[in-house]
Amino acid sequence: MSTEQGFIGRTFGDRDDVILTLLDNMIWPILAVVILGVLVFVPQTLRNVQAIRLVLWAAVPIGLLVLAESLCLLSGHFDLSIGSIAGFSAMFTGMILGTCPSCWGVTTSPWAGFGIILVTGALIGLVNGIMIAKVGLNPFLQTLAFLIIFEGGKTAMQTQPVTGLPRLYVDVGGTPEFAIAVLLFAFLVFGLLMRFTTFGQAVYALGSSEKSAREVGIDTERLIIVVYTISGLLAAIAGLMLTGFVGVVPPLIGEGLVFQAFAGAVIGGISLFGGRGKITGALGGVVLIQLVQSALNNSPAVGATQIQMVNGFVLLAAILLYSTQAKLRARILASGAV
Amino acid sequence: MSVEDSGTAEQEAAGSPATDEAGEPKLRVENITKQFGRIVAVDDVTLDIQESEIFALVGDNGAGKSTLMNVLSGVHAPTKGTIYKDGREVQFSNPSDARDNGIETVYQDLALMDDLDIATNIFMGQFPRRGFGPLSFIDWETTYERSRQIMMDQLGRDVDIKTEVEFLSGGQRQLVAIGRALAFDPDVIILDEPTSALSVDATRLVQDTLDRLAEEGITIVIVSHNIESVLAHADRIGVLYQGSLVDIKQPGETDLEELNELMTTGTLDAGLLDDD
Repeated sequence: MSTEQGFIGRTFGDRDDVILTLLDNMIWPILAVVILGVLVFVPQTLRNVQAIRLVLWAAVPIGLLVLAESLCLLSGHFDLSIGSIAGFSAMFTGMILGTCPSCWGVTTSPWAGFGIILVTGALIGLVNGIMIAKVGLNPFLQTLAFLIIFEGGKTAMQTQPVTGLPRLYVDVGGTPEFAIAVLLFAFLVFGLLMRFTTFGQAVYALGSSEKSAREVGIDTERLIIVVYTISGLLAAIAGLMLTGFVGVVPPLIGEGLVFQAFAGAVIGGISLFGGRGKITGALGGVVLIQLVQSALNNSPAVGATQIQMVNGFVLLAAILLYSTQAKLRARILASGAV
Repeated sequence: MSVEDSGTAEQEAAGSPATDEAGEPKLRVENITKQFGRIVAVDDVTLDIQESEIFALVGDNGAGKSTLMNVLSGVHAPTKGTIYKDGREVQFSNPSDARDNGIETVYQDLALMDDLDIATNIFMGQFPRRGFGPLSFIDWETTYERSRQIMMDQLGRDVDIKTEVEFLSGGQRQLVAIGRALAFDPDVIILDEPTSALSVDATRLVQDTLDRLAEEGITIVIVSHNIESVLAHADRIGVLYQGSLVDIKQPGETDLEELNELMTTGTLDAGLLDDD
């Protein structure tokens, strides 16, 4: 028990301290168990270096979306539209760059393509942020609307795979080593940003208490806009990586990925209510989610049509895990309260 | 009665810190009025607060004490009147202006981030940095060290500075909020209801801390409902009623009953106020 006089700090017993530390880092033992399970039941998923490389390569787009969602969640918000932003940005840019019969074929410059896809994603994120921070719309409703709008917009543009994209444009996401390096670099940058910059700490403050953050002088409206803009930008990079991974822009690009991104972030220890969680944990969540995906793809017991259903169970498991963690934490806090 | 006269007369009669002949008051509000539309929340208040003094502002709901506090902390600009700090006229159009003039405010909700540790809460928005310009990063070593120093040297508390604030009790949270105010190196700290909703032990902890800070030369302005606590620790007590400062009392010359009567009626029976 903590006391009013004297020492100020955590004064729980050793056992509670261990539990709290475990709760904060639960992704790593879970990941270890999942790796073990995959090695036992679907060993071909990790049978050699090539197979492991494939798992990590496939993790790149979802990893970038987990990063985007983690940033939003840490700020006390969330973004349902990241999958749609990834898909729409990739499709829009594909239509501009592609040489397929129904493509617009405006330019074949891969550099223009990089610029267009990034600006498209960032602009959509910017509008998300403005609608939430300035207009005062509920983040759930705003990003749900954008999920529908941009998924619909993508389908309205094209219902066939977009082909004939510039080589360099496709190679960025199509070169496994480079794509994996981009993902790791993004996590490294955001890990450092969140820990060592006032921006990162302000995001944690915003997620912990928007009112308190405002009272200590943080421009919370601007910060929310910046967070959603970065989220859109990361989603666009995910769209670029997805394009490279497949080699074309498939009509269903980005669909359903937001739920995996949520699951990855939450399993990675990012709080659903903001202010708590580590970027390294989210990276663990990415590996876990992709490992499950790859194992499902390799498993003879699960058909391709059943995978989405299993994904739903994975999300449910993540939320149950989070809920259990939150309850345990609350119980320990209550036991130590004065 | 004239508010200004009232305060001065009380101070002279009581030999209070406000009669300090050494120089200018630490803080002077002169004929401050604050209106919100047609509602006069603070009405022509004049008041001197001296260095190292613990000055309490008390009043019933709607008496104007929070508005006056917000004027002093830069949240509201006064409609009329002047604020002097160390004898110099100052104008606050936002809390940063007040901060730049050495005035920090600890709000009733404390503005703490529960998920973040003590040091991060203390230095949020003003982290010590290492490096240059856009390439500068938070210097966590200095952040932790300075936070520990503030809590230890100025508040006299041994602290595990990496403890998240959610683990702390009410009194400890109040101390962290005061610690954050101290990080800006103020010479005036305004506290809004610092002991409301605190246990007896926690109230004592906070009061002892405020006494200690006053001894170190910091001027403390408390806005409070807790008359008993104010009577035990304040050097002087200003009573607000319907936006006006109706009296200034010293704890030794008044009691709970009298202050309650002043707060609820704005005057005392049997012409007690006229004794000045």
